[in-house]
Amino acid sequence: MPSKRPTARPVEGRRWKVEGPAPTQAVKSRESRVSASPHPAKPARPAPARTTDPGPRTPDPGLGPRTPDPGPLGGRHVRPDATSKVAGLTRYVGDLALPGMLHAALATSKVAAATIAGIDTSAAVAVPDVVSVLTAKDIPGQNLVGVIFTDQPLLVTDRVRMVGDRLAVVAARTPEAAWAAARAVTADLRPLSGVYDPVAAMAPGSPTVHESGNVFKTFRVIRGDLARARKAASVVVEAEYHVGGQDHAYLEPQGCLAIPEGQRITIVASCQCPFYIQHAVARVLGLSLAAVRVEQAPTGGGFGGKEDYPSEPAACAALLAWRTGRPVRLLYHRELDLQVSTKRHAAVVRHRWGADAKGKLCFAEVETIMDAGGYVGLSTVVAERANVSAIGPYDVPVVDVKTHVVYTNNLFGGAYRGFGAPQVTWAAEATLDKLARSLGLDPLEIRRRNVLDARKRVLCTGQKLPGPVLAGEVLERATALAGWEGFKARRPAGDDHLRRGIGVSLVLYGCSLHWGGQKLDRSSAVVILQPDGSVIVRVGLAEIGQGNLTAAQTIAAQALGVDPSMVQVWQPDTTTVGDSGPTVASRGAHMSGMAILDAVARLRTRLDPVAAELLECQPSEVELAGSFARVAGQAGRAVPISRVAAEMASRRIEAISTGWYHPPEREYDPRTGQGAAYEFYALACHVARVAVDPELGLVKVEEVSASHDVGRVIHRDALEGQIQGGIVQAMGWGVSEALPLKDGVLQNPSFTDYVIPTSADVPAIKIDILESDGPGGPYGAKGIGEPSFIPTASAIRNAVCDALGIDVDTLPLTPPTVVAALGDRHPHAWVLEVKR
Amino acid sequence: MAERIAVTFTLNGEKRSFQVPAGRRLLDLLRDDAGLTGTKEGCGAGECGACTVLLDGRPVTSCLVLAASVEGCEVVTVEGLGGAAGHLHPFQRALVDTGGVQCGFCTPGVAVTGAAIVALDVADPAEQARLLAGNLCRCTGYTKIFAALEAAREARHAK
Repeated sequence: MPSKRPTARPVEGRRWKVEGPAPTQAVKSRESRVSASPHPAKPARPAPARTTDPGPRTPDPGLGPRTPDPGPLGGRHVRPDATSKVAGLTRYVGDLALPGMLHAALATSKVAAATIAGIDTSAAVAVPDVVSVLTAKDIPGQNLVGVIFTDQPLLVTDRVRMVGDRLAVVAARTPEAAWAAARAVTADLRPLSGVYDPVAAMAPGSPTVHESGNVFKTFRVIRGDLARARKAASVVVEAEYHVGGQDHAYLEPQGCLAIPEGQRITIVASCQCPFYIQHAVARVLGLSLAAVRVEQAPTGGGFGGKEDYPSEPAACAALLAWRTGRPVRLLYHRELDLQVSTKRHAAVVRHRWGADAKGKLCFAEVETIMDAGGYVGLSTVVAERANVSAIGPYDVPVVDVKTHVVYTNNLFGGAYRGFGAPQVTWAAEATLDKLARSLGLDPLEIRRRNVLDARKRVLCTGQKLPGPVLAGEVLERATALAGWEGFKARRPAGDDHLRRGIGVSLVLYGCSLHWGGQKLDRSSAVVILQPDGSVIVRVGLAEIGQGNLTAAQTIAAQALGVDPSMVQVWQPDTTTVGDSGPTVASRGAHMSGMAILDAVARLRTRLDPVAAELLECQPSEVELAGSFARVAGQAGRAVPISRVAAEMASRRIEAISTGWYHPPEREYDPRTGQGAAYEFYALACHVARVAVDPELGLVKVEEVSASHDVGRVIHRDALEGQIQGGIVQAMGWGVSEALPLKDGVLQNPSFTDYVIPTSADVPAIKIDILESDGPGGPYGAKGIGEPSFIPTASAIRNAVCDALGIDVDTLPLTPPTVVAALGDRHPHAWVLEVKR
Repeated sequence: MAERIAVTFTLNGEKRSFQVPAGRRLLDLLRDDAGLTGTKEGCGAGECGACTVLLDGRPVTSCLVLAASVEGCEVVTVEGLGGAAGHLHPFQRALVDTGGVQCGFCTPGVAVTGAAIVALDVADPAEQARLLAGNLCRCTGYTKIFAALEAAREARHAK
C-alpha cells in the first residue's frame, strides 16, 4: 500500500474517483438514448461493482435512476473463453482440419539482398504427395500485399529485399511433404550489396532497397522558437540511444486455413485484423470484397504480430486453395515465424534536451531513425505514433521532432504493442534522468517539475489535453507504492554483492488511432435479443487474449441489465459486421463497446415500448437492470427481461439491432505535427526496483509498481492481466530479448536463444488503478493494452543506471551490454588495466 | 511406407493402441491419431511447454517424446486432467477463477504442469515459479497463474 495516498480532490469542477467505497452520490440521468447517431451518448456511470461486497446500495434520490444497479461493470466475472481454454477445447486454426485438406509450405529466401535470375520448382513438384507449387505468375489478381503502401509483392519475381521474401508456395497431402518440397525450390539469386544499418542507409551513396530511396518518409513536430530556447537553457543533455527490436513471441505461431467454394472463399485465420485479410485476399485473387469471408479463429496471442502480417500467409493459402480447389492449411513452425514475421522496430534516437537551472524543460530536440526493413508495412503508422509520443507527458514549450522511416535489408518492422511509443519513451525517460543528474535533482523531482497538469495541459502537438490531467497523480501514486522516498533515504544493501536501484517512467498514451488513421477508426456491432432473453453480440474487433470478448460481454450485459452469462459474444467474421478497422492501438474494448452501446440504444427503441406495456408505464420510464425491465425508481414494478424478449418474439418485433461508432473528426497538420493527434489519452507511471550483479551485468527486476489512469474499469481481472502481462513482456524487451542480425539474417530464431521471460523471472507487481471522469470510451473506459507495456523498460533502465551509477543507452540491457557500459567501473576492469 | 511400430498405453485412463512410424512424436500421435488437439505445439523444441502432458505422472514436453517409447506408460493430456469428461482439475478451475487465462494457447501445458506442481504440494512461491519455468506464457505475466497455483493448493488442503 502506498504510504501517502493522495485523497480525491476536485479537478476543474469535476471529481475524479479513487479506489474505495462506492460513491454515494446518485448517478445522473441518462437523458438521451440516441437511436441512429454515429456518436451514441455515453450512458451515465453506474457505481463500480465490487467482487466481494457490493456495499450498501444508496437509495436513489430521484435524480434519474436509469442505471441504478451496479451490474457487472468493473467486476471479475469469469471470462467467457476461460473454461474451454483450460479444458483444451478451444479450437485454434491448427486444430481444424477438413476432408481433403492440403498442407501448405513456403519457399523463402535465406539471403536479404539479391536479384532473382530464375526460380526452379521442378524438384519441388517431383516430391511425392506434392499437389501444387505456385510462383508469382500463378496469381490471378495483383501480386501485392501491404496495408497502407503496396510496396511488397506476395511472391517475389525479380528482387529479394529481406530474408523471408517468398519465392514459391507449395501444397501437399502432408505437412512433411510440403516443407520438403519448399526446401527443394531453388532460385538463382545474384547477391546485391545490402544495407543493414538504418543510419548508414540514410547516407548518400548507400545501396538502395527501393528505387524511391531509403528514407521512405519523415514525420515532424515543430513547436516554438528553438534558437531562443537553446539560449535560455542552463543545462543541455545530448545523447544517442540504440533501442533494439522485439519479436512478439505469441505462443501460437502464424496459421490460417483457406476454404474455396466456387467463386468465393472463406479464410479462417489466427489474426487481429480480419478485415485486413479480407482486403489482401480479394486483391491477390481478384475477387470482390464480398466474395471473401474471413473468420477470426481463436488466436493464441497477437501483440501486433498478427495485425498486418497474417494477410501474407492468408493470401498464400488462399492462392493455393483457389488453384487446387481444395482446403489448404498453412501453419508456421517457430523458426520460420521468428525469422520472417514482423518485429518491433529497432530505432536510433538522438536527443538534445535543455532545462533551466530549476530543472524546468526549455526545449527538446528528437531525431528518431526507425528501421523499417525491406518493406514499409505499417512503419509509417508506427513512426506517426513515435513522432508525437517523443516528449511524453511533459510541458515543453519548444519542440523539434523528426521521425524517419528508413528501408534496410533487415527484418520487417511492424506493429508491436505500443508501436513506436516504447522506443521514444525509453529515450525520453533516460534523458530526463540525465538532466536530473546534471542538475543534482532527484528523478522524481524533475518529473514533478515538468509533468502536465490542470494548468499546463498543452502537449507537444499543441493539443490541449481534455479532462483531468493525472500525470502528477500517477507519478505520486506509483512512487509511493514503490516506496521511492524510503528507498532513496536508505538504499537497501541486501546480504549479497548485488547493487540495487530504483527507476521511474511515465507514459502518455493516445488511445486508438492517430489522426492519420482516422478513416479506419470506426466500429460495427450487432446485438440480437433471443426469445429466451439471452443475447448474441457480434463485433468487428478481435479477441487475441487481451479480453475483448470479456469486455464486449460486460458492456452489453451492463447496457441491457442482464447477467453476463446471458450474453454470448462470438468471434469476428467479416460477413456479420461492417469493417471495424484493426484490433490495435488499445482500441478493442473502446471501439467494440461504443458500437455495442449504440446497438443497444437502437434495440431499446423497440424493446422499451413492449416492456412499458407489460409494466403499464411510459417507455421513457423503463430501466433495465438486474435481469429485469422495471419502472424507474420502483423496484417492485418489474418484469423479467426474458419475458419482454418472449413478448417481442411472439409479436414478431425486430429483435436484432446494429450499432455503429466513429470518433469525432479531428484537425491536425502533418507538416508541423500540430493538432489533435488523438481523441483522448491514458496516463501511467511505472517504478522498477532492480538488483544488478556488477560482475556479470545480470539484471534482476525485483519489483514493478504501476499506477494507471484507466478512466473506468470494465473487467478487473482482464485489466490487471493486461498490466501484469504488459510489465513482464516489456521487461523481456528491456533486459533479455535481443535480435542479433548478420547480413539481415536473425541469429537466434528459437526459444532457446531468443529469451523471453519465464515464470522464474517475474518481479513482484503492485498495481494501483485510478478511475477518472473525462473523455473516454464506453462508460469512460480508456485502453490499457499498451499503456501497460510502455513505461516498464524505461523504468528498469533508469533503475539499473541508478544502481550502477552509469548510463546504459542501448536496449536490451543484456549482461554484455551492461558490462560494456560499466567500462572502467567494472569490478574487474583493473585486470584489463594491468594487461594494457 | 516407413515401418510402423505398435504401441499400447493408457491414454486419459483408457487403454489405447496405435501403429506409428518410428519417428512419430507423441505430440502428433495425440493430436492427429487420437484427435486430442488440446495439446498444442508452440515451438517443437521442448522450450515453450505448450505440448506438456503427464507421462507416468511427470510433466514432459510431448514434442520431444517419441510415440513408440510410451509403450505401457500412462499418459494424461489436458483433456484428461479432470478425470471424467466435462470435469476440471482443481488447478484448471483455479485458473478460470483467478483470471489466469488470456489467449489460452499456453494454457493446456500450464494446466498440466500446474496440476503436477499442485500434486507435489510445493508451498514456496519461488519454488513454484521455478517448477513452472518450462511453460512460457506471453500474455499473463504469470502473476495470476501463481495465484491459481496457490488457490489450488489451498483447496487441496481444505479437503
